[in-house]
This record gives sequence, C-alpha cells and structure tokens, in this order.
Amino acid sequence: MAAHVGPNMTPMVDVVMVILIFFMLGSSFATRNWYLTNNTPAIKGGLHNIKTRAMPATRINIRLQMRGHRAMAMIGVFQTEDLKRQLFRYLVKKKKLFGKKVKVILTPDNNVPYQDVITVYSNCIKAQYHQVAFGYPMK
Amino acid sequence: MKLHGIKPMQDMHVNVTPLIDIVMCLIIFFLLVGHIAKQASIKGVRIPVAANGKGMTNRSNELIINVVPRHSSMAGVQRRPRIWVWGQQVRLGDLGGLLRTDKRKHPNLKLILRADQSIHYRYIAPILADCAGAGIDSIHFMARRP
Repeated sequence: MAAHVGPNMTPMVDVVMVILIFFMLGSSFATRNWYLTNNTPAIKGGLHNIKTRAMPATRINIRLQMRGHRAMAMIGVFQTEDLKRQLFRYLVKKKKLFGKKVKVILTPDNNVPYQDVITVYSNCIKAQYHQVAFGYPMK
Repeated sequence: MKLHGIKPMQDMHVNVTPLIDIVMCLIIFFLLVGHIAKQASIKGVRIPVAANGKGMTNRSNELIINVVPRHSSMAGVQRRPRIWVWGQQVRLGDLGGLLRTDKRKHPNLKLILRADQSIHYRYIAPILADCAGAGIDSIHFMARRP
C-alpha cells in the first residue's frame, strides 16, 4: 500500500486563513477616511420653509459667503474668515449661552466649495451641536 | 524468502489540491472585493479634510453617492458634476427616484456622500434635498483625516 509522504498542508491553510483575516481587519482600520454624520435632513425651500419640522426655540443661522477666494462665515453681526479656530471658539461660547436645545442652520452660498461647508459642519459637531441642518442657498 | 533492502513504493508527490483550493478561493475573494470596491468608489474625487469624525462600524445597507467634478475650460466656472451610484452615472433629476426606491427596499439605508472638496454647494444642496425627500434622515459625509 502506498503511504502518503507529502507535506502536511493543514498548518499552511491555517496560517493563510489567519493572514487573510488579519489583512481584512487591518485594511478596515487603516483607512484614512472617516465620517461626519448628520441626522437632520436639509430644509427644502430654505429658511423660509422652516416651520415644516418641530424646531428648537433657539437657532443659530450660519451663512457662508465667498469673499474673493475665501469663504466667510456670518452669524448675525459676527463675521470671520477663520473657519477653524475663531468660528469654533464663537460656537462654543454660544453653546454655553444657549444650552442643549439649540439648532444650527448652515446655509452656504451657491459658490461655496464643499470643503468649507465640511469644515464649518465639522466645527459644529466638535462644539457639541447635535442638530445641524443644511439650508438652501438664498437667491 | 524475505527480500531485505527493498522498501515498498511510496508516492513522493506533494498533494497540491488544498493549495489550489485556497489559491482559487483567494483569487475569487479578491476579484469580488475589487469589483465591489471599484463600483462603490469612483476615482477622481478629492475627499475634503475634517478635523473630527467617526469611523463606521456597521457597513450594511450603505449607499455611496460619488460626486465627481468636471473640468471646465473657463476659469472660475464650474460645470455640473457627475453623480455616480454603484458604478453607474445618474442624472440629478433621477437621483430622487433612485433614493426613494432604495429606501423602500432597505428601510435602514445609510447614505454616504463622497463628494469632491471643490464642488460648489449649489450642486450639493439638491442631493441633500433629494435625501430629505426620500425620507433618508441620516447622511454620512465622507471626510479625510488631516
């Protein structure tokens, strides 16, 4: 009777499967992308149609407008081109003033790049605003 | 009479059947994953940078909308971007219907917006409005770590 003297493949299969699982998991952790989640849909019709949903009493309207090649954020009389630090500090200050039940409505102009919209939205999330809605550009 | 020094014949070949099985499984796996990844993510999109965000643990029922810019010969004028969903180009007018259909099929639909950082908001706002119209109340904006 012929005896089987070939190498035992079982450990190799085990090792290959472990390597495969390692790379599958590793690739999912190593990704450079992450996500900003928004649970409030855009307000159809813009700020004029705002009564279609139950809204908190206090709202902060952030308007984004292009000034030359840079976007400027405007909240009432407050204006800044520093969409990262200065705007974040202002948002934190307002948050302390208004408390939890405050809604932010972000309304960029038509020609504002998506990067600036994401920067401002990211600041709102960082400043612990849980309700941020996107408005339609004003015409 | 016993014969000494003659060993019985043995099969000295390596059994490659499990190896082929594994290699074939790996090839099929990577082909499928590559195909799905290609369909989901379109090249030519520069993801915007965000200082904070979260990873997604549950990736089931996700729908990725790719918004790809088109180069314009005129400086300062941006052409209407192309919208790709599952490897197919979709017109903006058809996006609402597609989203409503998907939402009916998958009530827990997660929408991922993968738009180029240079796209003007005038082309993003209608997509957000279509999401709202389709009843999708959770949108994930894909961003890049700084």
